[in-house]
Amino acid sequence: MSEGTKNQPANVSRDELNPFHSMAHQFGLAADLLELDEGTRDVLRQPDRELTVSMPVMMDDGTIEVFTGYRVQHNFSRGPCKGGIRFAPDVNLDEVRALAAWMTWKCSVVDIPFGGGKGGVICDPRNLSQGELERLTRRYTASIMDILGPDRDVPAPDMNTNEQTMAWIMDTYSMHVRRTTTAVVTGKPIAIGGSKGRREATGRGVMLVCREAMKKLGRSPEDTRVVVQGCGNVGGVGALLLHREGYKVVSVSDMYGALYNPDGLDMPAVMDHLRGSGRLEGYSSADYIENSEGQLELPCELLIPAATENQITSKNADRIQAELVVEGANGPTTPRGQEILDSRGVMVVPDILANAGGVTVSYFEWVQDRMGYFWTEEIVNSRLEQVMVRAFHSVADMAEKHNVNLRTGAYLVAIDRVARVYRMRGVFA
Amino acid sequence: MTQDPRDSDLLGDPAEDQALPSTPALDEETPFATMMSSFDEAAHTVGVEPAEYQILRKCDREIAFSVPVRLDDGTMDVLDGFRVQHNAGLGPFIGPLRIASDIKIVELRALAAWMTWKCAVLNVPFGGAAGGLRFDAREHSSGELERAVRRYTANLLTDVGPERDVFMRDVGSDAQTMAWVLDTVSSHARVTENAAVTGKPIEIGGTQGHQDAVAQGLRVILRLAVDRFDLPHKGMKVIIQGAGTVGGNLARILSEDGYRVCGISDVHGAFYNPEGLDVNAIMDWRRERGSLLDCPGDFERLTNRELLTRPCEVLIPCATANAVHSKVAAEVQCKLIVEGAHGPVSSRADKVLKERGISVVPDILANGGGVVMSYFEWVQNRMGYSWIMPVIEKRLRRFMAEGWNSVMKTQQEYDVTMRQAASVLAVKRVSAADELRGIYA
Repeated sequence: MSEGTKNQPANVSRDELNPFHSMAHQFGLAADLLELDEGTRDVLRQPDRELTVSMPVMMDDGTIEVFTGYRVQHNFSRGPCKGGIRFAPDVNLDEVRALAAWMTWKCSVVDIPFGGGKGGVICDPRNLSQGELERLTRRYTASIMDILGPDRDVPAPDMNTNEQTMAWIMDTYSMHVRRTTTAVVTGKPIAIGGSKGRREATGRGVMLVCREAMKKLGRSPEDTRVVVQGCGNVGGVGALLLHREGYKVVSVSDMYGALYNPDGLDMPAVMDHLRGSGRLEGYSSADYIENSEGQLELPCELLIPAATENQITSKNADRIQAELVVEGANGPTTPRGQEILDSRGVMVVPDILANAGGVTVSYFEWVQDRMGYFWTEEIVNSRLEQVMVRAFHSVADMAEKHNVNLRTGAYLVAIDRVARVYRMRGVFA
Repeated sequence: MTQDPRDSDLLGDPAEDQALPSTPALDEETPFATMMSSFDEAAHTVGVEPAEYQILRKCDREIAFSVPVRLDDGTMDVLDGFRVQHNAGLGPFIGPLRIASDIKIVELRALAAWMTWKCAVLNVPFGGAAGGLRFDAREHSSGELERAVRRYTANLLTDVGPERDVFMRDVGSDAQTMAWVLDTVSSHARVTENAAVTGKPIEIGGTQGHQDAVAQGLRVILRLAVDRFDLPHKGMKVIIQGAGTVGGNLARILSEDGYRVCGISDVHGAFYNPEGLDVNAIMDWRRERGSLLDCPGDFERLTNRELLTRPCEVLIPCATANAVHSKVAAEVQCKLIVEGAHGPVSSRADKVLKERGISVVPDILANGGGVVMSYFEWVQNRMGYSWIMPVIEKRLRRFMAEGWNSVMKTQQEYDVTMRQAASVLAVKRVSAADELRGIYA
């Protein structure tokens, strides 16, 4: 999902391509509609807390290397902070700050009791041994310990971090506080407090909002052709589940190309093929399009960009044929792209709503860890459905009330919830 | 092959040797090593890293301390207290608090490890522990016992707690003991910590269904076994050794379920009728008189040992360790044995039964209903919300069935006995968690 600058369109201005600018733009728009006072606006624009730590790590060859890490807590009015930790050579405080704010809005849209946080460590995981990675993770955890905890800040995996990273964080934290604290982090392996259904949660959430949006548009699954950009945890799972719901998935893609069959793909077979060979190319019952730039413009009713940001821009938005776009990835539509789609009457379900299934099941993991009791996959899925359906309708209702698109509707819902709680709690001391 | 001293005939009829049901079968000298030897095989089977298995072969932590107590006559006694914590890979420790005059730390080590395996097989998120207070409650007043338990708890304050180490009832401790522990921990912590102990009185956070949890768990296992081994659903002949919390409750439940309970026993002797016993009448007698002695009825009167070898479909020893030793094993006339007690089938008997083609559902799976219920109590305390009985029953069925299914799957995968499969499963789960968490610092 977060492939950095790869696959970014040429000939589009850099300003249009900065997803954080578009978020700030959305924030302003929604704040105006909510008639937020300047003070509250300032509070919500700035992170509650930013922590920068430097971490000496003993490398395998006996030398010491000093790494820099960040943890930003954007807003904890609605509850402890929640957000991923990314390991990458180009992480910087600006990016972490913006992503933390993004998490605040996402948690608020789906109404789970968290604020937004984000962490980052400047490092190149490809050049670190497993042992070095473990020592770095443990040291980072120890360095930010004072602001972590099930009731303070709960990290999750992000770019280049995974279940194993989360297991190390959980272990380090638990050893320091002298008690088992599984709820300090989510995205853990099931053996030590992870949740069932988490891996496919984002894809499932995408499927659920597609279903609700299609109901609103009055279209039945059988009459809906679906094009999915991506085929990983979000796109692949989403496509598979939509197929199961009776939708006609006509195209999916990976980094190298796209499959297309206007009669519909047999998604379980496609996923089997992908698992076997590692890429889509070579699947026999569909055409293979080598360079998939045109994939988004294929004839369909539902388009799901679930790969990377900035895919629908001023350059191609007028050629999109879908009547519904559901953003599986973060920031796949630029503000200019959105304007064009708006003017053409295309409905866009925004990322902070559409791909919030992941953080929702992270929330479920935290709840289960706090109880110490673990739900069956059916229960996780049915509770995810409740959350996503409710969130979709509160956004749709808000958008209707203010006569704006769903993206602005989502920001209105999110900001309104945070601002209300902020006023209720008041300014401390 | 080393000789298993538990099989020695010098012990006489082991059934007469009324150990408590929760006492596992242990070698007198090195119980921990003996217990672990069965897991060596399991570790070898699954190919667990020797380094990783090293961790499991030693207890994480052992605490020994003295417990001074003021006696009613004004003098002071200094008791010995212990808490052994075996492995915390899967979660906080949980384990019994045993109060008896003959506590040995080697025994607690074995018990603690036993708890680790049991929790792993039943997939409850705990590691194993065991504690002991060397104290003869019969020689002391209730006030002296309370002061001893409170001081014992106070000495362990940094180690006890819902996310650290949770106490369970055991030999010599009861609901009242748990209430004292709870109160001591909570008073020091300045918050209510009722999840620090299980087996509490219901009024202060105990769970419904605690009383017959082991029997209810056995019932679930029996039903699954009936399907697996193609035994008759209706009128199946069952012999139960023991008539206490486990055996007595199980007899009542099974006869309600339509099984034919043909045999039952207590320390005084056994009753057998191939057409089935009137369980209610027998249990009423026992409730009123405290034992089965002189109970009237239409049945044959036998010794415990004789009962074990009478014909039936399923034999469920719920009384003592090593009740089914190798000689009994050669004579039993059943299709399946389900271990209701801890270690009722000796390891030599295991080999005899295997040769005879009689399956044994091992204790760490079969009698796990107790620890699952303790887990439920802990969950309810953490939520601050109590489940009603139907919810508890349903969830107990879920945990027992999942444990059973996992053991069956492991058995097929490695082509071993059910007991070995349970050990393999336990070692696999614990070592997987240890590996994920890694070595700290």
